[in-house]
Amino acid sequence: MTESQVGRPVSRVDGVAKVTGAARYAADAEVRGVTHAVLVMSTVARGRVTAVDTAGASAAPGVLGVFTHQNLARLALPSPAVAFLKRFLPVQDDLIRHAGQPVAIVVADTLERAQQASGLVGVSYRAEPPRVVLADDMGEAYIPPQTNDGANDYVRGDVAAGLAAAHAVAETTYTTPMQHHNALEPSVTVAAWDGDRLTVHESTQGISNTQNALMQAFGLARENVRVLSPYLGGGFGAKGPVWPHTVLTAAVARQVGRPVKLVLTRAQAYTSNGHRAETHQVLRVGAARDGRLTAIQHTVTQQVSRTEDALLNSSEPTRILYACPNVRSTQQAVRLDLPMGSFVRSPETATSHALESTLDELSYTLGLDPVELRVRNWSATNQESGERHGSSYLRECYERGAERFGWSRRDPRPGSMRDRDGLIGWGMATAAHTAGGRPGSSATVTIGVDGTARIRSGTQDLGTGTYTVMRQLGAEVLGLRLRGVRFDLGDSAFPAAFASAASATVPSVGAGVVRAATAARDRVIALAVADPDSPLHGAAPDQVSVGDGDLFLTERPSRRVGYRQVMRRHGRLIEVTSEAVFAPMGYSVGATFVEVHVDPVLGRVQVRRMVGVFDCGRVLNHRTARSQAIGGAIWAIGFTLSEHTLVDPNLGRIVTPNLSGYLVPVNADVPDIDVSFIDKPDPSSPALGARGFGETPMTGVTAAIGNAVYHATGHRIRDLPITQDKIIAALS
Amino acid sequence: MSEEDPTRRTVIKVGAAVAAVATAAPALPDVAEAKAAVTDTARISLKVNGVTHRQELEARVTLLDALRERIGLTGTKKGCDRGECGACTVLVDGRRIKSCLTLAVMQQGREITTVEGLARGDALHPVQAAFIRNDGFQCGFCTPGQLMSAVACVHEGHTGSDDEIREWMSGNLCRCGCYPNIVASVRQAAKEMS
Repeated sequence: MTESQVGRPVSRVDGVAKVTGAARYAADAEVRGVTHAVLVMSTVARGRVTAVDTAGASAAPGVLGVFTHQNLARLALPSPAVAFLKRFLPVQDDLIRHAGQPVAIVVADTLERAQQASGLVGVSYRAEPPRVVLADDMGEAYIPPQTNDGANDYVRGDVAAGLAAAHAVAETTYTTPMQHHNALEPSVTVAAWDGDRLTVHESTQGISNTQNALMQAFGLARENVRVLSPYLGGGFGAKGPVWPHTVLTAAVARQVGRPVKLVLTRAQAYTSNGHRAETHQVLRVGAARDGRLTAIQHTVTQQVSRTEDALLNSSEPTRILYACPNVRSTQQAVRLDLPMGSFVRSPETATSHALESTLDELSYTLGLDPVELRVRNWSATNQESGERHGSSYLRECYERGAERFGWSRRDPRPGSMRDRDGLIGWGMATAAHTAGGRPGSSATVTIGVDGTARIRSGTQDLGTGTYTVMRQLGAEVLGLRLRGVRFDLGDSAFPAAFASAASATVPSVGAGVVRAATAARDRVIALAVADPDSPLHGAAPDQVSVGDGDLFLTERPSRRVGYRQVMRRHGRLIEVTSEAVFAPMGYSVGATFVEVHVDPVLGRVQVRRMVGVFDCGRVLNHRTARSQAIGGAIWAIGFTLSEHTLVDPNLGRIVTPNLSGYLVPVNADVPDIDVSFIDKPDPSSPALGARGFGETPMTGVTAAIGNAVYHATGHRIRDLPITQDKIIAALS
Repeated sequence: MSEEDPTRRTVIKVGAAVAAVATAAPALPDVAEAKAAVTDTARISLKVNGVTHRQELEARVTLLDALRERIGLTGTKKGCDRGECGACTVLVDGRRIKSCLTLAVMQQGREITTVEGLARGDALHPVQAAFIRNDGFQCGFCTPGQLMSAVACVHEGHTGSDDEIREWMSGNLCRCGCYPNIVASVRQAAKEMS
């Protein structure tokens, strides 16, 4: 029996490097003669720079250059097509578009000297009062031109008729705050020029995009820009787009004639990498007496900047998930004097939260169990495209999740469950997120004369397990053992891959690896059957299977030959590079169940128990997939209970740009999490039955927590996060 | 920390840092240089993972930046540079501290252990092995700090229950969200180290 290389809970192949400190992240790159840049950020949110006094900074010890819009070289603005989403480059003119926009860059021989000199740069502004409060400017809402958010005004059926025909209608308003990624590794650029050749060590989820953006900014040929990112300290979307600091670092490195390292401070990251924009959502959901949905009307209004229209909090769950003939989804924007929003882990979470919370409200109106309500509206079809999902075992997720959680023991009456010192609430919701539907990726498979394989692709591993899973996929297709396969990533000299984003790595990069490995395997099989000295000589290629490092006759496995023997006789390596093929969109789903404990005096909500059952097609690695599911659940705890970025309403400056005022979950906030998978292959997958998964497990959990808080207290907190003050106010 | 020990705050407040540092740093040349500024350099030696590194450093250089930017030990990470995330945790004389909140000159004569000093050759420390076995990390960026905290957590005897581990590991943030696996890792390592 051939040992399968996918599915097993293989330990991360980069594990030893990560636990010994040997893994070199961007800021750890050894670059001879590197100098240090520090950004000076705008302290006003709107206006113009009237003067910059650089004399003190320039004269400070160790300073190699002080750059402002008056002396920094003019740079071309890279295009959105290469994920440079911001529509202006700072330090190119005197205009201030938001607080925390770079206005000067100081380069010195040591970090401390650059930091000190940055404090000596005097910037004068003509400030105008900024508008930064979404609630104040809701009247300015507009429907932006369509970009990557789906239809901003989507209609199917007749919502008015559907609502009129409903037995019950839930009408709700949910709001979600500005939130930040806070990857533990702040964004880093280390730029080194050699004549016209630029090498950049970058903390990026997309080395191809970074390479393309730098080519455009400086007018360089592809072969003159190399981007390296072998290890990434988390991204969560912060490092998905290409941001100005990358281009600015390369620009000052060129001007000082030395390699330059820029590490954003934690505070600078709050205005340099985008954020999850604040939303205001209005829903009307109607259902027949039996719970079948008759209409969904969902209007989401969110903050955008003065210079960009990208929304990112888009309403896929409303359009795709539930069988409902009448749906209207409107996505609108309000321009404010804030940085642009961007992707933050599981961008569909904000709209999912409002929809899934409203369904819970509807379940109470109908007197129907919330699991049953969802089962009755399950569909095997993507309701927006009308196409069947490759596979969907969502009903099995509900069933298994309810069983593992013990849902049948729930008394649905709010406030009915208590323990010695507080209120207990049980809530549930559906997890669902699009996965893929993005450009394809290439990979090169090289099989050496020793019969081992090396696979290369210009992708990244932001912690999701790309190194490990791609090696498993390659080994499975080639029929080699894991130790016989090596997978390298993070170098723009490798075949280009799509960014590590949008749950697209498995369907995009994974599919590229599968295609290249399949072609390489077929070439080895062709060698084996053509060789008169081979035990497989004369066999039809389609009668040959691979496994455990051998090629063998499918019907007579004892007739076999090793890769090593075939390749040694061949005497030279085999190399195949796959073409990039568009990655199909999958829809990975699940059911999530949560128990909370609410302290009625302190208003403290503690998540006590979580169960998640997911359908992401075939599970390539149970260990890394489980970790992604746990990670998503923990993000959901932060999203729902503690994370909000606060902006000064008068000055437009973020007042919590740190990890002490902005509360991400800590270890003590997180209970054990029960994760399981349906683990049945999706026949439409180009990656051995697997779909993308990373973004799914954060969805659902947020609403499940909020629904559990309602079940515990009898109060709906529709304004996130559900902080202690709101619970106390509701209970008193 | 004894009363004579300078903290980063007192050193910065004094400005004439060398004077404050000298009480804890007998290797410094002369207290007569008390008027020197934080920008003045001093020759110091740091003992890291059993190896003595001699450096000429400004008084204001943190232990973290000395390790990373001068000595070249980049395993210790900078996540916030203000003591909030724990990624820079190292052991000093066996005690866990955040290396961004202390100055290099304050740590002379002490035994500093970083993530690079945990394994013995190819043999991983039980905590390292347990983190791999339990998938106690994803991106790996907080991991050096988690590992150093975990070693100390076990030695401190704070592994009596999962809740106790959670509490005593809560000074190290993990944004990928590996906490249950970190608890499992520490629990297992504690068993093996007992």
